[in-house]
Amino acid sequence: MSTQVKEQTEVDEEEQVSPGERRREKKRQLQREREQEILDAVDEAEQTVELKIFRFDPEVADKQEPRFDSFTVPFHRGMTVLDALIFARDKYDSSLTFRHSCRQAVCGSDALFINGRQRLACKTQMGELDWPVRVEPLPHQDVVKDLVVDMEHFYDQMHAVEPYFDPDELPDGELEAQTQSPENREKIKLSTRCIWCGACMSSCNIAAGDNKYLGPAAINKAYRFAMDEREGSDKKADRLRIIEQEHGVWRCQTQFSCTEVCPKDIPLTEHIQELKREAVKSNLKFW
Amino acid sequence: MSSTYDRGTVESFGRWQEFSAGMWAWILHKFTGWILIGYLFTHIAVLSTATQSPEMYTDTLQGLEALLVVRFLEIGLLAVAVFHILNGIRLLMVDLGVGLESQHKSFYASLILTAIIALASIPTFLGGMF
Amino acid sequence: MAEHYSSFQRGSMRWLLQRVTAVFLIGALAFHFVLLHFVNHAADITFAGTQARMSEIGYFTLMIVFLVTAAFHGLNGVYNALINMGLEGTKRKVVAAVLVVAGVLLVAQGTYVAVVMSGFL
Repeated sequence: MSTQVKEQTEVDEEEQVSPGERRREKKRQLQREREQEILDAVDEAEQTVELKIFRFDPEVADKQEPRFDSFTVPFHRGMTVLDALIFARDKYDSSLTFRHSCRQAVCGSDALFINGRQRLACKTQMGELDWPVRVEPLPHQDVVKDLVVDMEHFYDQMHAVEPYFDPDELPDGELEAQTQSPENREKIKLSTRCIWCGACMSSCNIAAGDNKYLGPAAINKAYRFAMDEREGSDKKADRLRIIEQEHGVWRCQTQFSCTEVCPKDIPLTEHIQELKREAVKSNLKFW
Repeated sequence: MSSTYDRGTVESFGRWQEFSAGMWAWILHKFTGWILIGYLFTHIAVLSTATQSPEMYTDTLQGLEALLVVRFLEIGLLAVAVFHILNGIRLLMVDLGVGLESQHKSFYASLILTAIIALASIPTFLGGMF
Repeated sequence: MAEHYSSFQRGSMRWLLQRVTAVFLIGALAFHFVLLHFVNHAADITFAGTQARMSEIGYFTLMIVFLVTAAFHGLNGVYNALINMGLEGTKRKVVAAVLVVAGVLLVAQGTYVAVVMSGFL
């Protein structure tokens, strides 16, 4: 830049190069810098971990056939699978698609199939998994794009059990709380933890085969209300009628898959079994 | 949703190494169940020779028992029946809500017990063959 | 929602009966195996021996109940397995009918064989 001659040539070049080309060159430069940044981050990290991520996009020609992409991510203590996915998306490929929101196992958005098991990405420590870590969308659901599955069917099953509180009577005072006994609260406590993540339904062999099966999450939701003493006996009978259909509780084959994958540790199989006994008991009474 | 991608059944049965105890118990219970109901039909068919004549019944049964392969099939049948019984007891416990936390242990126990009983029965089943 | 409104839902009835027959079959199948393979050696079975056992009314009754419960438990199990795999609609009704017919034939033939063996006729 110090000599006259060089400046001259630069001016000449600028005259030939179109503004669009200049913009693209600037973009390429930025891209190179960003790539260098990632390489530096990966180099500087004491440890890196490889992620193998399922990719599929019906709208992109070379992603119509599903494949696995590898990403090398710097590892740090306390890193969750979601942290690693976010790194991969932000630093490598902004088209990498997955659902996430609260990052603290409350919203239930990021249930994924991680190393062959349904887990919440935000609640799974990278350090506790075998490396490389394989991340796939939830099995037994249609894949919309990359790690995003179609949850419509799951929500339909949840709504089928009428998942809302429906008591016969309300407390007298408008501002009075509708209380239940501590024992009853304790009984339904675990069932109220459900975050609708769909991990259980995805792990269930029967739900995969029989599309009409209500599934563990919906039955657990029915349990939560059927066992609530504040609802009337007619409503309880209604609830039992829904869960004791052909495609209700009887389809559960007690494989315990749902119970094992539930990120909120709800004893799903136990609840389903209790509802089976409850249904038989109520039928024997009428008989 | 026509643009979605369904990964089919490969996603479940290609992953047998990732199956848990409860899933294996279910698969084996179903498999042994199919064998037992299939055998019940065969069993009645073979015993039906008694309706022809007593001699035919005796000859058929003793003829079958003289075959080494039948003796081995019988050991297999015993193993199948024992597993179905033991895992069936485990499932009845699960239905009653007893010991749900140790359901995987009781599955392994039924497998081991089945193996022991089947092995211990070999001398009885092969008796008189050699 | 519910498809069927009798006082005893078919699903829960079949579920309960599957368990009740299971309890009986655990004992009956174990007894049957022990008696005919360990107490009496299968290779030594003759029609005379079979007839001696079957002519006892208690044993005869046990065998008939064994046959009926085993047929129900087995065929109901097959039906459940097929529903779990997603059997639906008309196909399901056809399968149910086929299984019921198979069960009736099995029990009828089995009973006939048992009666011949016992020498009651």
